[in-house]
Amino acid sequence: MNQILEWLFATPLQVEIISIWIVTGLIIGLVFMVHRAVKNADVMAKPTGLVLIGVLIVQTFSNITKDNMGANHYKNYAPYVGALALYLFISNISGLFGLAQPTANYSVTLTLALITFFLIQRAVYRTNGFVKFFTRFFDPHPAFFVMNFFGTIAPLVSMSLRLFGNITGGTIIMMLFYSFSGYIASFVPVIGQFDFIGPLIAPFLHAYFDLFVGFIQMFVFISLTTVFVGNELPSEPETN
Amino acid sequence: MDIARGLVAIGAGIAVLTGTMTGIGQGYAAGKAVEAVGRNPEAESKIRSMLILGAAIAETAAIYGLLISFLLLFVFQ
Repeated sequence: MNQILEWLFATPLQVEIISIWIVTGLIIGLVFMVHRAVKNADVMAKPTGLVLIGVLIVQTFSNITKDNMGANHYKNYAPYVGALALYLFISNISGLFGLAQPTANYSVTLTLALITFFLIQRAVYRTNGFVKFFTRFFDPHPAFFVMNFFGTIAPLVSMSLRLFGNITGGTIIMMLFYSFSGYIASFVPVIGQFDFIGPLIAPFLHAYFDLFVGFIQMFVFISLTTVFVGNELPSEPETN
Repeated sequence: MDIARGLVAIGAGIAVLTGTMTGIGQGYAAGKAVEAVGRNPEAESKIRSMLILGAAIAETAAIYGLLISFLLLFVFQ
């Protein structure tokens, strides 16, 4: 299997690629299930089951986007924000199911931050036009170029490293904890080969590092995306 | 070689000290949030989401320190 994949991609396989496929397939399957349920649902009846879940998810992310971006623009960005939130949350908690979290790979978080970065630049371009897009680096005075430049690429670095650092930190701390509990358990004579201390304490740590941190980081990532993009959009209604 | 390994460990410990200042900042933010809820209880949900957002952003510095210490520990061995 590994050799086939390595031949396919002509590169040593990173284990996160498989979990990316699993997470993506899960989301695609979920979307198709909800789509079929919505198609077959009675419009006048009260939404139940999968339809209700779909309605709630769409409503929640529409409202979050609307709060941060204003009522004029949120409809263009709400689908991306919802998809981002689903992907990030399922990726972050996938460690609970024995997968290597995709977000513990810096390539994944850098890609997501790059998308946000380009959305910000696109919003700046569409608001200020071609000339102002470049002259904003020299805004008060040409000497401010370095500061403006780093201010522009700071969201890229900070957003990607924040997500990556939180998830990787949790993973490494769990790894250290398991090796430590195995070391402690090895002093017990008969059953010492089995790490019996780990399963007793680990669930609480998993609840914090995987569920809580995963949810909070997802929320922070989508909040920052909407806030950064929303700041650059024009506040008046678009004319076109 | 042993001294180098020990110095790397000390460097990792110093790098993770960024967490102290982050702790002060997050505690300040939480205290202010408590004050805000006490003054304005009906805005609690909005204050909570803002507190979580601010605390997570303040945590970034500590996360950078943690990353650097992990890099030191796992790359320079």
